[in-house]
Amino acid sequence: MMTYDVCVIGSGPAGGTAAKELCEGGAKVIMLEAGQQVDPPYLSHKWPYELPYRGLRDEKQALFYPKDISKVIYDSSPRVDVDRVRVLGGRSLHWNAVTLRYAPQDFEEWSMRGVEEDWPIGYEELAPYYDRVEKLIGVCGRNDHLAILPGGNHYLPPIPWRASEHVLARATKSLGIPLISVRKAVLTVPYDNRSPCHYCGHCMDGCDVSAIFTTPDCMLPKARATGNFTLRQNAIAREILVDREGRARAVSFVDRITKKEEEVSARVIVVCCATVESARLLLNSRSPRHPNGLGNSNGVIGRYLHGHHLTIVQTYLEELKGTPPINQDGATDHVYIPRYNHLFGKPDYTGGWGIQVNYASYMFPFQAHHLHGYGAAFKTQVRKMQPGFLQMGAFGKTLSTPGNSVSVDLNQVDQYGIPVPVVRYQFVENDVAMWKAQTQSLLEICSKMKGSVYPDFGTGPSGFASHEVGTVRMGKNPKTSALDSNCRSHEVANLFVTDGSCFTTSSEKNPTLTIMALSVRAADYIKKQRKLGQL
Amino acid sequence: MERRTALKIVALSALAPVGITGPAGTTLEGTAWTPGSYRLRFFNEQEIELLDNLMEMIIPADDHSPGARAAQVSLFADLMVATSDNHLKEVWRSGLQLMRHEASRSSLQAALARSAVNEGNPKNDLERFYGHLKEMTINGYYTSAIGIHHDLQYQGNTYLQRFPGTSEP
Repeated sequence: MMTYDVCVIGSGPAGGTAAKELCEGGAKVIMLEAGQQVDPPYLSHKWPYELPYRGLRDEKQALFYPKDISKVIYDSSPRVDVDRVRVLGGRSLHWNAVTLRYAPQDFEEWSMRGVEEDWPIGYEELAPYYDRVEKLIGVCGRNDHLAILPGGNHYLPPIPWRASEHVLARATKSLGIPLISVRKAVLTVPYDNRSPCHYCGHCMDGCDVSAIFTTPDCMLPKARATGNFTLRQNAIAREILVDREGRARAVSFVDRITKKEEEVSARVIVVCCATVESARLLLNSRSPRHPNGLGNSNGVIGRYLHGHHLTIVQTYLEELKGTPPINQDGATDHVYIPRYNHLFGKPDYTGGWGIQVNYASYMFPFQAHHLHGYGAAFKTQVRKMQPGFLQMGAFGKTLSTPGNSVSVDLNQVDQYGIPVPVVRYQFVENDVAMWKAQTQSLLEICSKMKGSVYPDFGTGPSGFASHEVGTVRMGKNPKTSALDSNCRSHEVANLFVTDGSCFTTSSEKNPTLTIMALSVRAADYIKKQRKLGQL
Repeated sequence: MERRTALKIVALSALAPVGITGPAGTTLEGTAWTPGSYRLRFFNEQEIELLDNLMEMIIPADDHSPGARAAQVSLFADLMVATSDNHLKEVWRSGLQLMRHEASRSSLQAALARSAVNEGNPKNDLERFYGHLKEMTINGYYTSAIGIHHDLQYQGNTYLQRFPGTSEP
C-alpha cells in the first residue's frame, strides 16, 4: 500500500488551502472528503416555483447536506445549532464569503481583558499569511485603516452600495459608528482566470461562475496541477490509526458508496473536518496509547466549543417605500459595520459584535409575515414596502469555556457505525449581557431611520451562525490546549488540525480568512519540517 | 405587463408532480412547479374550494395583479400539508371545519374576520388556524410566478455585467 506524504481530511477552506500549499511544496498529498463533487450549474438561479416546495424546505442547499450526515445529540441552551456540510469544498460551497482579519487584540483576551486565554501566536505572525490568502483568493473591499479590523494591500474594487445602505450610513454616522464597504471573497473584476460576480444574490446557494471563492474552483486545480494530488471522495473518516509509538500512521475510512472499510497511510495527517467533526474524529480515534482519543491525554479535545451568536433585525425604510422596483440583489452583503462598542467606553461585558448588512435575498417579502390584516390594503402595503428592505445581522463573540463541548456517544452510532457527536452548550452570563447590549444597539441604529422595524431577537442569544470554533484549540500551555502555535498536536508530532476547531478564542469576525491563514502557516511549517527530515 | 407575458406567468404557476434534476448526477425529491395538471394529495375538492375562497380574501386580485386563486395557492397548500406530519394535517383539516362552521352562522367573510380578531395573540383554535392559513397564503403567493413577477415586479435573479449601485436617496 502506498504511503502518502500527507493525508488531508476534509476539503473546505482549511483542507483545500493546506492541500494546495503542500502539493506545491512537493508533498504527495491525498485528500479524503466525506462528500462528493457537485458541479455547476447549481440550483441558485432556479425560481421558487421551479423547485419542490418552492425552496421553503431548503431544497437549493440540500445538495450540500446529504441525508447520511449523522445526527447530533443536543444537551444545550435553546436555539443552539451546529452546522456540518458534506460536499467537496465543504463550507466554501455554502458561504457568504465575508473575509475579515482578526485584530491584534483578538489574540490576547487574557493579556488585555483578563478572560479566556491568549493565542500562542499574535497578529504580526499571522499578517503575512493573511496577505498571501487575500491575494490568492481575491477579496473585494478596501483597507479602511481601522485598528479593530486590520486591512491588507491587495483588494479588488469594492461593490457599489444600495440605496438602503446609504440610508444606513447616515444613521450610523449620526451615532459615531463606522460603516465600510464589505470585504468578501467575491470577484468584482476578472481574477485568477475566474469570472467576476454577476450579482444574482445567491452566494449561499452555489456560484455558477466561480466568482465566489470555493476550494474546488480555486485551490484544488492548483493542487492537481502539481501532479502531487490525489482526491478520494465519499470517504468518511472513521478513525486515525497510530503506530506503536503513538504516532499517526493511517486513516481508516468507509466508502459511503461501496460501504467498504479502507485505510490510507500517510506520514503526516492534517485534520480539516470543521469544529464538530474534527473533534468527533479525534475522540473516536482511541487506542491503548491514546485511550481518551488521539492527542487527548489532558481531556481538552472537544471542550471549549463556542462561536457566534446572531441577532437579526429587518427594517423597511420609509423613504424608499413605494419607489419603483429595481434589481437590488447584488452580491448579498455590500457594506459592513465593524465592531464599535469599544469606542463608547468600557462596557460591563467582554467582547463585541460586527454587523453584516443585506445578506438576504430581495425576492421574498418577509414583511408580509409581520404585517397584520389581510385583503387589498394588506397586499398593497406589502408591495409598497418591499423596495425599502434593509436587513442587519449582528454577529457577536461568545466566550470559550471548558464546559461547552462536543463529545461522542459510544452507544449511539450513525449508519456507518461511527459514534455520533453530542453537543453540550450553555451561554454564560457574559454572552447574555452582550446579547442584550447588541439588541439594544441594533434598535438604536434602526431608530435613526424612519421605517417599520421587525426584530428577530428571541428571548436570548442563539448560536452559532455556522461559525463554531474551539474544540481542538491551540495554546501555549499543553495542559490546557491540544495544539501548539503551528496547529500541531502537543502529543502526536505528525498530527495537525487547521480548521476552526483550532481557534483558542473567537472574536466577532467571521472565521474563514483566519482558518485559511492558519492553514497556510501550518503547511509552511510542515514543508520546513519535511525538508529537515523531521516529518 | 404584456398580456402574453401575464398568461405565461399564470401557466408557470400550474402544478405537476414531476421530478427535478439538479446539478450533474443529482436529483431532488419532490414536485417541481411546472405546467400541467395537479392531482390533490390531501384536501378534497370541497376543501380546496373553501381554501381558494379564503386565500383569495387574504390576497385578492386587484387592478395591479391577480390574487391567490389565480396563483393556485390552494394547490401549493395541498402539497405542503400532504408532506407534513400528522399533527399539522389535523390542524388543517379541523381548521377548515371550524371555518366552515363559523361561516354557516353568517358568511365566509365574517368567519375570516372573526378568526383574525386577535392576530398575533390567538385565543382559540379558529384564531390559531388563521395564523396557519395566512402564513401558507403568503408563502404560496409570493413564491408563485404571479406573486414574484406580476405583483412584486421583482427585477433580480439575473446576470448583470456590473452592479450599478444607487446614489444616496
